[in-house]
Formats: sequence, C-alpha cells, structure tokens
Amino acid sequence: MQELTKFQKRLKFENKVASGLITLGGYGVIVSVLLIFFFLVSETLPLFWKTSLEKDFEISGKTPISIGMDDYKELVYQVYENGIISYYNIKQKKNVKYDTLSLSAGEKIISSSSTLEKDEIAFCTDSGRIINAAVLLTPEYSGNSRSIVPKLVNYEDFYGKESGKSLENLAFDKNENGNKFWVWTSEKKNVFIKIFDLEEDLNYTHKLTELTGGTKITASAINAETEVLFLSDENGEIFYFDISNYESPELKSHWKASNNEITAISFLIGGNAVVLGSKKGEVEIWFQIRNENDDVVFTKTQVFENHNSEITKIVPSQRNRTFLTVDKSGELHLNYSTTSATNVKFDNEKKGIKLVDFSPTADVIIVADDNSKIGFFNLQNEHPEVTVNSLFGKIWYEGYSKPEFVWQSTGGSDAFESKMSLIPLIFGTLKGTLYAMLFSIPIAIFGAIYVSQFAPKNLAVIIKPIIEIMAALPSVVIGFLAGLFFSPLFEKNLLLIVLLSVAAPILFVVIISLWGLIPEDKRRKFSNTWELTFVFIAMVLVFMIFWGISEPLETLFFDGNVKNWLYSNFNIGYDQRNSLVVGIALGFAVIPIIFTITEDALTNVPKSLTSASLALGASKWQTVQRVVLPAASGGIFAAIILGLGRAIGETMIVLMATGNTPILDLSLFNGFRAMSATIAVEIPEAPVGGSLYRVLFLTALLLLIFTFIVNSLATYIGDKLRKKYARY
Amino acid sequence: MNKIITFWKKGDSYILLTAGGLLFSLAMVIFMISIILIKGFGSFYVSDVAEIKMKDNTIYLAEILEKEEVVLQSESGKSYKQEQTNIKIANRDIFDQDFKWINSQEISKIEYPQNVTVFERWEYGNLIAYVRNLNYNGKVYLTSDKDFWDTFSRAFEKSEENKSEKENLEEELNDVLSPVSEIQREIALMEINFSWKTKEIEKLKQEEGTLQAEINFQIEQLNKKIEQKVIENSEIYAIVQSGDGTEITLELEKVYRFCRPNDMNFIAKSGLYLTKIWEYLVEDPRESNTEGGVFPAIFGTVMMVILMSIAVVPFGVLAALYLNEYAKQGFVTRLIRLAIANLAGVPSIVYGIFGLGFFIYFLGGTIDQLLFSSKLPEPTFGTGGILWASLTLALLTLPVVVVATEEGILAVPKANKDGALALGATKWQMIRKIVLPNAMPGILTGVILAISRGAGEVAPLMITGVVKLAPTLPFDTSFPFLHLDRKFMHLGFHIYDVGFQSPNVEASLPMVYTTALLLIFIVITLNLSAIFLRNYLRKKFKTSAF
Repeated sequence: MQELTKFQKRLKFENKVASGLITLGGYGVIVSVLLIFFFLVSETLPLFWKTSLEKDFEISGKTPISIGMDDYKELVYQVYENGIISYYNIKQKKNVKYDTLSLSAGEKIISSSSTLEKDEIAFCTDSGRIINAAVLLTPEYSGNSRSIVPKLVNYEDFYGKESGKSLENLAFDKNENGNKFWVWTSEKKNVFIKIFDLEEDLNYTHKLTELTGGTKITASAINAETEVLFLSDENGEIFYFDISNYESPELKSHWKASNNEITAISFLIGGNAVVLGSKKGEVEIWFQIRNENDDVVFTKTQVFENHNSEITKIVPSQRNRTFLTVDKSGELHLNYSTTSATNVKFDNEKKGIKLVDFSPTADVIIVADDNSKIGFFNLQNEHPEVTVNSLFGKIWYEGYSKPEFVWQSTGGSDAFESKMSLIPLIFGTLKGTLYAMLFSIPIAIFGAIYVSQFAPKNLAVIIKPIIEIMAALPSVVIGFLAGLFFSPLFEKNLLLIVLLSVAAPILFVVIISLWGLIPEDKRRKFSNTWELTFVFIAMVLVFMIFWGISEPLETLFFDGNVKNWLYSNFNIGYDQRNSLVVGIALGFAVIPIIFTITEDALTNVPKSLTSASLALGASKWQTVQRVVLPAASGGIFAAIILGLGRAIGETMIVLMATGNTPILDLSLFNGFRAMSATIAVEIPEAPVGGSLYRVLFLTALLLLIFTFIVNSLATYIGDKLRKKYARY
Repeated sequence: MNKIITFWKKGDSYILLTAGGLLFSLAMVIFMISIILIKGFGSFYVSDVAEIKMKDNTIYLAEILEKEEVVLQSESGKSYKQEQTNIKIANRDIFDQDFKWINSQEISKIEYPQNVTVFERWEYGNLIAYVRNLNYNGKVYLTSDKDFWDTFSRAFEKSEENKSEKENLEEELNDVLSPVSEIQREIALMEINFSWKTKEIEKLKQEEGTLQAEINFQIEQLNKKIEQKVIENSEIYAIVQSGDGTEITLELEKVYRFCRPNDMNFIAKSGLYLTKIWEYLVEDPRESNTEGGVFPAIFGTVMMVILMSIAVVPFGVLAALYLNEYAKQGFVTRLIRLAIANLAGVPSIVYGIFGLGFFIYFLGGTIDQLLFSSKLPEPTFGTGGILWASLTLALLTLPVVVVATEEGILAVPKANKDGALALGATKWQMIRKIVLPNAMPGILTGVILAISRGAGEVAPLMITGVVKLAPTLPFDTSFPFLHLDRKFMHLGFHIYDVGFQSPNVEASLPMVYTTALLLIFIVITLNLSAIFLRNYLRKKFKTSAF
C-alpha cells in the first residue's frame, strides 16, 4: 500500500468532513420536524397528567382543633382544645415554640371557623365564648437563611347570645374592609348572626330563627365579600340570606335542595358558588343564574361522585376551585368545581378523619385522623381546570344560565374561573376558512384553467410573476387593508357588496352569453386578446350597473340603510370587522397557492392526451372538461387542500380583520376568533407552564397535526400523479 | 337565442368564464397595490390649508381631505342625505381631535390665505395657525416687518441649536452621574439579596459618598449651563392664533418644522415632499410611532433577515446537497422530502410558539442559568430577542431555501459532474468546484425568497422578540457591538402595531400606509429579482427539473 501524500490526506479528510456535514444537514430536516412536534407534545401532555396525592410524612400527637402551615412549608401550627398552640418545625421534626390562647379554667375549645385565607380564626369554646385570633407565620431573613416566625394575635372575644354549653354551627368570615360576620346556633336552637362594622365601629346581633321557621339548623356558611349567608336545616331546606344591610339581614329565598339532610355547606373561592353535602353523601354545587323569567335563582349545576356516608366537612382551596369533601367513614374526595370531576378518592385506612386542610399554596393536604396521626400529603394537581371534556365539551360556568362552549381565558381577579373551551376557536378557524375557500376556489381554479389552457403564451409569461407577487404580499399588509380600508368601505357600501357577490356573477354570465351571438366561424378567428377585452368590458359593465343601482335600491327598499334594515327586520347584527371581509382577505391570500398548483397540474397533463382529444373533434372546452380536468383532478384537489392548510394557519389577517370575538355563529356579518390569532394574542401574557400556556400549545399542536395531514396527503397525491403521467 | 344555447353547449362560454376568474384575480392585486401606492405616497403630500368660514361664523383653519354623503335620521325618524366634508383641523392639544366632519352645506366661504403656517411639533401633532408676532433676542417682531420670515427662521435655528446643546449637556451629565448610579444599583441589589452583608454595604455606601462629593461641583456647573439654555429657549417664542381665534404662545423649541403651504410653489412643495420621504427612511419615530421615521424598524428588519440567512442558508444548502448528491433515493429521501413539505405547510404561528417555548424559555432559560445567573431573575436570553426571532424564521424559511437550491443543483449537467469525478476529483471537490458554483443562482433565489418571506412575516416575530419601540438598536458601538439578546423593531409589526394598537388610529393611518408601501416595495423587489434569477438559471441550463 502506497503511503498517502499530505495533500491526499487532506483531501480525504475534507471529503469525510463534508460528507458528514452534508448528511447531518439532510437528517437535520427530519430532526427539526420531529423536534417541533415532540416539543409541542411535551408542553401539552402535563395537561392530562392524573392528579396524584402521596403521603409525604406524618406526625403523631393529640388531634388539634385547627391546623395550618406557612407558604414555604416549613412550620406547622396546631391549636389544641386546651388553648395551647404548638409550632412544629418540619425540618427539625420537633415543636419549636408554644403559645397559649387565654381560656378560663376548665374551658375547652370545641370548634373553629376561619376565613379562606386563614388570616383570622374564630374559636368556639364549651362555655359559649367565641374567641377571635390569628396565627401569623411570616418569613424572616437573616443571613443566608430563612426562618418562619410565628406570632399569635388576639382579636375580640365575646359570649354568643343565648350561649350555654353547646354553641353549634359556628361560621365566621371577614371581608377586605375589615367587617366581620359570625353566625351560630345557640343552646336553645336559635340562630344568631353578629356583624361587626369596622368603619362605624358598631356591632349588630340579630336572631334569624323567625325567618327560618324554627327547624333544626344543620350547617351554615357565610361569605363576607358577597355578604351572603347560607343555612340548611334537617329537611334539606336551604335558607339564603342577604346580609349586606347590617341592620336587618334579609331572607332572600329558601328552597328544598335535597331530600336528605344537608350536613355541610361551603363557599368556593370568589363566593359565588356554594357546595352542599348531604347525609346520604351527595355533593353538589349551586350558583345563581338568571332563568327564563329573568329571575335570579340558585340552581344546581354540578353533581359530584357520591360518598358512601354522611358528608362531614367541605374544605375549599384558597387558590382555585378545588375542594375537599370528607365523609363519616373517613373517605376523602378531591373535587374540581368547573369540570365536575372527582380527581382523587382517598380512603384514610378506614380511620375517621377529624380535620382536613390545604396548605396556603394548595399543594399540600393536611389530614388529621381519630388515631392521633397527622398526615401531610403532596398534591400534584397542576391543571385541574383542563380536561378533555372542558376543552371540547359544554361546561356550566359560574354565572352562565346553561352549559356552554366558552373561551375566556383570563379575568380580572384571582378568583376568576378560566373558561378554556377550544370549540369556539376551532369553530372560528373553520368559519374563516370556509368563507375564504368559497371565495377563492372558483376564482383561482378558473384563472388557472384559463392561463394553462386558453391564454396566449405571452400573457402567461406576465401573469405568473404577478401571481407570485400576490403570493408574496405579506399577510400583515393584506390584514391591515382588510381591517382598516375594506371594513369601513364594505360597511358604507354593504348593499353593493352583497349585490356584487350574489347577483353580479349571474349578470356576468348573462353578458358573456352575448358573445355567442357572434357567428361561430367569425368568433374563432378573433384572437384571444379580443376575448379578454370583451370579458374585461363585461366585468366593468357589471360593476358599473350595480354601483349605479345600489344607492337608489337602498333608498327605495331598505329605508336608505341596509344595516339598520337587516337589524330591525331580521335581527342580524353587523360588525364592521366581519367574516365577509375576512373571507375575501383570506381568500386573496389563498388564491395564489391554489392557482399555482392547479396551473402546474393542468400544464403537466401530457400533451398526447389533449392532442388525441382534439384530433377526435372535441372542442377546446370539451377537451378541458373531459380530458384535462379529470387527469389533473388529483393535483387540483391537492391545490385546494394546501390552500385550506394555509387558510387555517393564517394569523395576521384573521387577527386584524375580525373582531376576535369567540362566538359560535355562522353569520357573515359578525366576526370570530381563530385558533392562530388566539395563540398570537394570548401566549405573551400566559404564565409559563400554566394551564393557558399549555392549552395554547395544544391549540398549536392541533394546527400542526392538521397541516401535517393536509401536506402529507398533498405530497402523496402529487407523487401518485407524477407516476401516472409518467406512463404517457 | 339558439346561438347562445349552442355557445354554452359547445362550452366556448366557459372559456370566457375562466378568463373572468383570471381577470378578477389580477384586478384584485392591482387594486390592492394601487391603494397602497396612492395612500402611501400621498401621506407626504404637502396640502394647502383652507380657511373655512361656516354660516354660523365659526372659522376652521384646516386641510380639506374628502367629501362623503351620509344618511342621517331627522327628528321625525325620516332619513335624509347630507354631504359632509372631512377636514384636518390639527391642533390636537386644543381641539382634542385632529379630524372633524362638517356639513358641506353649512360652509359659506373657503379661502386659502397666504400667511397660514403649519407647525409640525415634537408633541401633539401639527399646529395650524396664523403667526402674529415673534419674540426673539428680547425684541418683538411683527409679521408686517421686513424680513420677518428670515428672522423667524433665524430664531428657529437658534432655538434648535440651544436645544441640541442642552441635550449634549444632559448626556454629559448622565455620563458624570453613571458611576454613582451604578454603585447605587449595586447597593440596592445587595440590600435585597444579601442584606446580612452589612459591612460590604457600608463600604459601598462610603464609596458612593466620596464619588458623589467628587462630582458635585461638575454636576452643579452642568446644571447651571442646562438651566441657562432652558431660559434662553423659553425667551424664543411666537404668538400664534388658531382658526377659532385662540392665541397660543408657541415656544419654537417645541417645533420640529414649519412651512406655509399656501405660499409655496410646486418646486418648494416637491422639495419638502422629498425631504419628508428621506426623513421617513432615516429618522427615529416620534409620538409613539405615529410620526417621524421608521429607521429602527428598517434596521431591525434587515438585521433580522441577515441573521436568519446566516442560519438558514448553510442548513438548507447542506440538506439540498444531501438529497441530491449523497443520499440514495429511497425511504430516507422520501422522508426528508415529506418533512420539507410539512415544514413548508406549518402555520407561521406554530413556529412562533415553538420558538417561544423552545428557543426562549428552554434554550434561553438554560443559557441564563449557566452564563447570566448574576442577573437573574431578570432574563437576558430567556426573553424575546433578535437571535431567537431569527432562528425561528430560519426554521420557517428552511423549505424555501431547500427547494430553490435543489432546483439549482438539479440543473447542473450530469456530464460536468461526471467529468470532474473522472478526472480524479473527490466528491467534495466536485461539489465545491462544479455543483455549488453552478447552483449559485438557485441558492441565491432561495436566499432572496427566504428574505422576502422573513421580511413580511409578523406572527412568529411578535411572540419571539419584536417590540413596538426598541430603545436601542441590536447593533451599536458599545461592546460586543452585536447584541443578540436585544429586542428589535420590524416593519411588518410596525404596521400591525400602529394601525391596530395606537390610541389615535386616524392620525397615524398615513404612516401605516407608507410603511405598508415600503414593505411591499421591499418584498416585490426581492421577489422580482428571484424570478429574474430563476429565469436566468432555467435559460442557462435548459434542463429544468420542474
């Protein structure tokens, strides 16, 4: 073997490197496509991960009355019946500090009720006293480390009216003005409410028994923000009080919510929806809706999986619409209100559950059982509001009169119930695409047939670049013209536009028929230029005629204003930026795609076929109709679906020329909200990793999958066609 | 009638019908482009100012824009027509709006007085008014004075000079202050993140104190000078009177430019027209993008497409070479072609969201944690920027480059390639010496088409780094010159932003048309050159594969 020279070595090396790089480049294309696809999938999948609840650790000790922890999950406080408060450090696994609530000798705490944020707790003792306090756990920083500093703050305490030994059903809440509300049932089974007005520094106490009719009250819930009180009695009757007038609480309505005794009531975040739990283990959500008679009534909207025994506790999360329900047998359910889903069922090893609560970040659930064990469970529940049903099905949202498809992803407050149904967006995209295709398909295919089959050769040379430029026009320019130039123009000349799109094609056909009056032999002698000129004149003529008559027509038949006429006679509203405008603008963007591919397909039909047809005496059009079009039909179909793919994914035009209102309505005269525009508008504001973020990725994934199908189909058809033609 | 029936039966009529389809498409393209041409070029037109006297004796000084018939409803519910005239009254700060519709029948007289002046101001848009007098050098000049307008121009120049001097002084002041503010920032950061390092904070504070003492004198001097300029400029002002008779004191430093259109001849107007076009191309935007130029947007667009080309061209050419020179035609090439067809069809917004998730949050976030962790939580690369936007568009334009390059490669005659190989060239030598040079027009076509696509694309950019107003260009004189992490402006986004997000759409509309015109000019020029190149290529080799 001869030794290679340095030069040869270099050549060989270069050759190797180049072929490596080039191969890499080739495979890089596949990698890019796969990367895009799998990245989108990986961002979407967490939406559908199952909720998990796993025990983290456990501490033992006496069962407390109230329990809570700080935001950083470092310190746990427990309030015991003797008024002792212990602070347990999770890292050090021991109690680090104690506090005491001042109780009289022998007095015991029997129950507690707190605000949703746990910034104030009302304790109820066996001597009928109500003690308000707060256990504050604030992080403090010293040096590199953070430590949670606990602090007990005492607020007012008082003896409840008619209190003896047993004061029951205590409910407490405080609103952002600092006004406080307590409600309780006295020993004599009377219901009292106490209201403290901070600004006026006044206390009000009212007896509500006369209003409820004196049946046994079994549960109560109060919401200070909406100033609403709910009481339930042994017969399953619900009493709904408006307590916004502090001097006289008003019983707004009462109704039988269940055949069984209601044993637990709780408000969810936002204070509009209320959860009821019954003796038979039923769990349901009620909220106010407007019924057909325009009355506002509470309606049962969501029903959850049944428990096997009496519901003892309902605990709402302070973060979202998750809530826990606990029954007598110790079974615990984790439910999400919007989706009516019970995400986790958890049986505390057949031990009764005394106390359940969320951590402030709602990712830890604390469960205290009868057996002196307190378990801390990690909750993995990132996207409870998103399920397949909530994305594609009807959901009964708070405040809506019936289950609906709604897209409204963000709202003003934390308590906002995000509504993320993809149906309105998919509908919008399809609506825009439909009108765009209706507009573009005939024009583009007619144009392509003319250019490829009938046009003089020198004309085709000019037309192709023009169509290419049409394809290259940035969609932002088309969208801008549609939104700011054509929308107002169409609004002003609505009748003309309608006439042009409906009546003009008919008149056009009538006029070009006149061409047939010229004897055939003479006609054939005319050059194509004459034909084109005639068509051009016909088009101008049609336009002029309708332009001329539209105004007199409008005055004569439509009181001078078609828009108002449509609205008052048919209740059809007209938005300035509507589907008509979008259809035309989007159609304009799609025409060059359909045109080019159709033209290619038609031109590539083998000459031998057309020549044979013409030789057999078929006319030009007959040849086109019977030979060329069938032969190229696959290509034309590919052209149409590629155009469809473009229309579905187009963003700027639909963003600028529609009002972006997510409505389900096929009317030409109002807008829509498309998937692509929604992504463009909402993704910059969506918190990374949040539900909206992932739902938008899902939307993008749907678009990707759709265009993947369309393009693969078109490629397949193209290949087939090429093979077919190759035979001739 | 029979003739018509046979005309349809034989199908000759369909030919006319298809011709209609073609003509309609052409008419739409021409209509759209003409609108943009007319409106885009029209926005720089210097129109005359009319003094419109109404029957109720109100007077408007305004540019007359258009007339239109509107249908109104009378009190009795009957509708009637009225011709209305749209006028640009300007003076936004006084009248709240720039435009007004007036009833044409109510106009009693329209005149074009010579001495109306249009002031383009730095803020609040134009001011249309009569100049009453000028205060300059402590003297009052009246319009009746000889050489009044020369004096006025001199005063205007002086105030501009003062203004720029003042701005220079302010910059100097900033330079002087910058070490101190840097220390202050450091202290603030320390206090937030490392509050227990009291000693070090104390030390920094001392340093701050000494620095402050050192520069105190300088600051005082500079402040004095600035104040002097401010006072000087406040004494250069004109008293002007708007159409409704309100007298306004107009400090000349608030004026960007002034002219008296009714007193200008065609040449002067053309001159001003050209100046305006020039300014539009080279200046920064004013008044939240509704006036001034679009230079940063042009710069950003160019910069972005250059970066994009650097990324996409090698990738695309390699892929095309692989497909046609290296790979065996079979499953893999079919797969690659399918991938390219799919990349071409993926909606641009999907590229955008991919760019946001993958490049910005994933890659950028990782880079930030590895290299810029000191700046966190403020992101450096973990937020939209020109690099990520360019890479996103590179992916988007990849199929364009691959397809065009393939055409170029396929057009290289096989004989040339075989000849090279027969002479003993390695495959790479053959590609470098024979294939690439001959495929150059194809590659160039691809690059041009990619650039054209990139320049016009907006949706993926608006979520990967384009902003409405970027304080700095992505390329400047400060190290490292090219700032890949910076956000940038873009012509296409400028159209969307000014046309749809600006608070005063009507006033900014001319600007949008001009930008649209500029954008389609760029895109059409690029496309025409690509078409030209491709035709050249096809002619040269006459063995086109397509």
